[in-house]
Amino acid sequence: MVRKEDTVRLISAEGYEFVIEREAALVSNTLKNMLTSTGAFTETQLGEVRFPEISAPILEKVCQYFYWSLQFASGKETEFHIDPEMTLELMMAANYLHT
Amino acid sequence: MFIRVKRKKTTYFLHCDPSESVLETKQKLQALCDVHVDKQRLILVEPETILDEAKSLEEQQVGCDALVALTYKIQGMNEETNEETDSWEEINIEKPIDPKASLRKDHNKVNNTNL
Repeated sequence: MVRKEDTVRLISAEGYEFVIEREAALVSNTLKNMLTSTGAFTETQLGEVRFPEISAPILEKVCQYFYWSLQFASGKETEFHIDPEMTLELMMAANYLHT
Repeated sequence: MFIRVKRKKTTYFLHCDPSESVLETKQKLQALCDVHVDKQRLILVEPETILDEAKSLEEQQVGCDALVALTYKIQGMNEETNEETDSWEEINIEKPIDPKASLRKDHNKVNNTNL
């Protein structure tokens, strides 16, 4: 059963919110460090991370990637479709998130 | 599997089992958005179907990464009968403005005039 405390809120440039489970957020090394440090980031306390540089469709794709990655790790192989137009921005976001 | 539940500017990503009932999904949402299951309505976006609490997700064609809209019951009292009104919000999912879409349209216009 997911509790509010187990979730993380990712906020895009336009102010769109994506609520995901902590387990999914930890797929990203950057988020992992932001959320597990001992009080160095405000993100740890609020459970909220803002991305003024990442747009909503990209951030949504990133969240889908986190969940896909968890599924893949548990052995289920499925396709992860990416629109060619999105590729550049998605790569930049992935680089920033160390994913 | 996971599904996306959207309302206005918020998207909730939820891990769920295809065989779980819609009621169980609403209970997970209750923990996240603090709205009681009775005041939640889940609607599969394509094809537009109000999801039945008693049935399971897979029975109602809700698959992995499915997009589901969340609407709340509108608070109100019927003055005559003194009962709560039974009306629900319209599906309201905000779509971000895609700057590239407008660029593409202009590009097409230019192509047509050249022909």
